[in-house]
Amino acid sequence: MRENYRNELKAIKAEVVDIGRLVIEMSRDATVSLVEGDVDLAERVITADDDLDTRTLALEERTLETIATQFPVARDLRLLYSLAHINIHMERMGDLAVNIAKATRRTAERTGPRTLYDLIRAQGNLVHRVLEAMLEAFETSDLELAYKLEEMDEPIDHLFKQFFRELSRLQEEEEIEWASSMVLASRYLERIADHAVDIGERLVYMVTGEFEAFDESFGDEGESPAS
Amino acid sequence: MTTTPVTAQTDSTEGVAKFSVRGLDFYYGDFHALTGITIDVAENAVTAFIGPSGCGKSTFLRCLNRMNDLIPGTRIEGRITLDGADIYGPGVDPVDLRRRVGMIFQQPNPFPMSIYDNVAFGPRLHGVKKKEELDGIVEQALVRANLWKEVKDIMGRGGLTLSGGQQQRLCIARVLAVQPDVLLMDEPCSAIDPTSVQKVEDLMAELKSSVTIIIVTHNMQQAARVSDETAFFLQERQGEPAELIEFARTAEIFTSPHDRRTEDYITGRFG
Repeated sequence: MRENYRNELKAIKAEVVDIGRLVIEMSRDATVSLVEGDVDLAERVITADDDLDTRTLALEERTLETIATQFPVARDLRLLYSLAHINIHMERMGDLAVNIAKATRRTAERTGPRTLYDLIRAQGNLVHRVLEAMLEAFETSDLELAYKLEEMDEPIDHLFKQFFRELSRLQEEEEIEWASSMVLASRYLERIADHAVDIGERLVYMVTGEFEAFDESFGDEGESPAS
Repeated sequence: MTTTPVTAQTDSTEGVAKFSVRGLDFYYGDFHALTGITIDVAENAVTAFIGPSGCGKSTFLRCLNRMNDLIPGTRIEGRITLDGADIYGPGVDPVDLRRRVGMIFQQPNPFPMSIYDNVAFGPRLHGVKKKEELDGIVEQALVRANLWKEVKDIMGRGGLTLSGGQQQRLCIARVLAVQPDVLLMDEPCSAIDPTSVQKVEDLMAELKSSVTIIIVTHNMQQAARVSDETAFFLQERQGEPAELIEFARTAEIFTSPHDRRTEDYITGRFG
């Protein structure tokens, strides 16, 4: 029954997975560009974001058209509604990756303390793990994995706070300028992971029909990073 | 997870129950058509019955005003109460019941008489004779049926000269003229044009503050648009009686139904 419609739903979901892969790649490349001071790689991330924007916009239109013409209900409606939200998260994660890439532009010519590089690298690795888990949970509707995202996000928030503490120890003006770009990058990484956790919440709604906010005690945006 | 109709119905009805049905089974001779139907239909609300063809929803609807009594060999088990009184109890006059529980069919069926006489038919039968009083009843019924503006200057014209959609609203006015408590609508929009469908749907929304409405519809978007609560019926296997699978708030049924069979049906996976 309704073969074309079913195929379209599958195709839309597959496109979101593809977009997710692009976002993971952008996020990873942006972090590498920052740590390695690789401006060329940073520029590639910035260019990739044009492609991401085009695809997320096209997906939004496609989702809207399906809702308008096919009258989805129940799990189909929850799927499309959730995909629309997830799509927005993906687009924002891409923007954050671009922000990190722009930080590379500002910091590539300088160097800072080793500890801060290590912290950013460690944070980037953890974010990468969260993103991979998020995409796998989404692709396979694995709720157990979706519920783990929040827990996986915790150390990322801790690293950001630690980064902030290290920053406050710096004395030299030049170092401080460098480090303020880096602390923003650390914040962007932390935000990327928060979006992944939000996608996990959407996923739970998509599958179960229940709205459920994950415990956000560690990812609270209003919380002072130095606390 | 709620899967049994008994549990489902306790979740759903928010207001006062107009109809209470408990453990209803229905038979056409040897054929067991419906089994174990338990449902509370809310007063002053629109309740939609949905399900694939042959799922017993129209049969069940006709149990509610004893229309099935007219078919030889039919019988019911279980209990149906209207405002707490058993409608199959001794001393219940089916004709009086059908005045309280009016019915609209798929095909509009105006009588071969004028628009005015169609609407005045019921009140006259119930003894209203004064022209002034009849005029008032006829006008009010036509206003409530969203038809007055279109016919007020042609009241003497034959009901059958109207368009299909107007005829359907004339039939609704004819039922409303005898002040029913409940309106049963058996696919009332299947045979009429889209503008008339819109008018019928509008009048359902307007009427429900004073009349309890139950609609059988094959059009799931219509059920979603017009009803407060939705009941899904299904005959799972050929030869077995149909059952009430799920009954809940319409918004819930169309976003997060509890039963997989409901979900499969409304998303078009079968039926």
